[in-house]
Amino acid sequence: MQKRADRSARAARRTRNRLRLGDGATLVLLALVLFPFLWLVQMSFRPNTDILGYELAFTPTLAHYRALWTGAFPGSFVNSLVTSTASTALALLIGVPAAYSLSRAGFRSSRSIALWILATRMAPPIAFTIPFFLAYRFLGLSDTRTGLILIYLTFNLALVIWMMKPYFDSVPRELEEAAWIDGCGTWSAFWRVTLPLSSPGLAATAVICFILSWNDFFYALILTRTQASTAPVAIVNFIQYTGWEWGRIAAAGTLVMLPVIAFSILVRNYLVRGLAAGGVKE
Amino acid sequence: MRRHDAFRLGLAPALIVLAIITIGPALFLVLTSLTPLNLTLPDTAWDFSTPLGNYLDLLDDPRFSRSVWVQVKLSVATVAVQLLMGLGVALLLNGDTPVRRFARSGFLIPMVLPPIVVGIVWRVMYAVDISPFHRFMDWIGLPVGSLITNPDTALMAIVIAESWEWFPFTMLMALAALQMVPAAPVEAARIDGANDWQTFRYVIFPYIQQTMLVAGIFRLIDSIKAFPLIFVLTDGGPGDVTEVTNYYAYRQAFTFSLWGYGSAIATLMVIGIFVLSWAIDRLTRAADAEAG
Repeated sequence: MQKRADRSARAARRTRNRLRLGDGATLVLLALVLFPFLWLVQMSFRPNTDILGYELAFTPTLAHYRALWTGAFPGSFVNSLVTSTASTALALLIGVPAAYSLSRAGFRSSRSIALWILATRMAPPIAFTIPFFLAYRFLGLSDTRTGLILIYLTFNLALVIWMMKPYFDSVPRELEEAAWIDGCGTWSAFWRVTLPLSSPGLAATAVICFILSWNDFFYALILTRTQASTAPVAIVNFIQYTGWEWGRIAAAGTLVMLPVIAFSILVRNYLVRGLAAGGVKE
Repeated sequence: MRRHDAFRLGLAPALIVLAIITIGPALFLVLTSLTPLNLTLPDTAWDFSTPLGNYLDLLDDPRFSRSVWVQVKLSVATVAVQLLMGLGVALLLNGDTPVRRFARSGFLIPMVLPPIVVGIVWRVMYAVDISPFHRFMDWIGLPVGSLITNPDTALMAIVIAESWEWFPFTMLMALAALQMVPAAPVEAARIDGANDWQTFRYVIFPYIQQTMLVAGIFRLIDSIKAFPLIFVLTDGGPGDVTEVTNYYAYRQAFTFSLWGYGSAIATLMVIGIFVLSWAIDRLTRAADAEAG
């Protein structure tokens, strides 16, 4: 009896030590992995005289952020906000009813539509950029926010349909059918019953669309020049004009990533589904 | 029946917009690839006299074949590193302690950062004069030269940065799969005296291999679109050692204004990606059938 108790106590201690060891290893690894990223953030607060310094103790300065405020950067930040928000809103407006229809109607062509959407997700951006660039020159949409909002729909619309359909699938039909019997039309039942029940999924989808548009670099690099250039492109522009001014670049990078980090912590649990749209079997 | 019409109405706008922004450009791309379009020579638009000219030129273009080879090396290396790293970190994070719940969010940061910021982060790490990495190597007496300007290490530098950016994706998928592994067989294996490695290899791994395969496929297909990192770190150089096919197509169209030629490369990329997706779909279905 005594022996067995000893053994189980030893086993419990071993498990506890293992957990503690694992926790320690986790923290060390996390620090190592995030080091390059944290280094950039600290650089953005380092005074120019000491930008190449390594001492952890330095007097932080907001000079780089102030310098950004006076240049073209705030305008590009606004462009990023406007294009990402508008493209997300538009994608939801068109995509959500489509996802609901696909979920409920049982169209014979559902499978081909799903494949089409997956193909859109897989296609390389360069394949869209060349025709869009040529068409925009002709249509006068080069270097406009409208042009960017439209091309962001190529990934946002597909994403909305792909993410929202499973949410609607999981809302029981009986609830809408009850609303129909009470005299609601198809779409008013959707608006009053189904949509509110899927609101967490809707919010997560919106946030992921926003992040993807906000993070875009390739489309904005090619389709904008000065007027509509977004924040990521603005960073590259001032690298090209003023060279590698590390402090200012670090500050701009830090500003650009702030909204994304805040948002992604909110939707952490939905990220896999959004980014792997099509791969995770439901 | 009226309800079915309502659903059709709900679907129609999305399909129309999707057709305009995806099928339209795809057709336009293929048409452009059949012309020698060059915006500095207006006559070249809609000149279909030698429709396959661009494709024949590609056959004899050593820079194109080199770009495909660079792509293969980049894709294989990054996918392999990401799978190993993602799985390793996921195994570490699989326990349920407050520290690990916190770390799960922390490890996501590289993946959600704007790609341009990832480029800048690594540009700083690779800049000999300001990088803490180079400083550290100097300090321990093993100074290294710039990794991104040396043709022998430039691609490796890209692989490191790209793997850092995307291992959280494979980690998330591995973690999700690990949490679905039932506890009973794992315990049974332990009681039967299996060590950690045997338990992982013969009990846990069979449960998660399908997910790892899917994660690898996603990373493989996305690795073909690599752009911002290469743009910021090496611009395809030195020479063309980091010029992947995507980058080459971008150069041809947007730097040299050879739109027809760039379109031909992009068309081949689309075909390549679709063939790859199709083959992989077959593969995973076969694996599914095998798993029963």
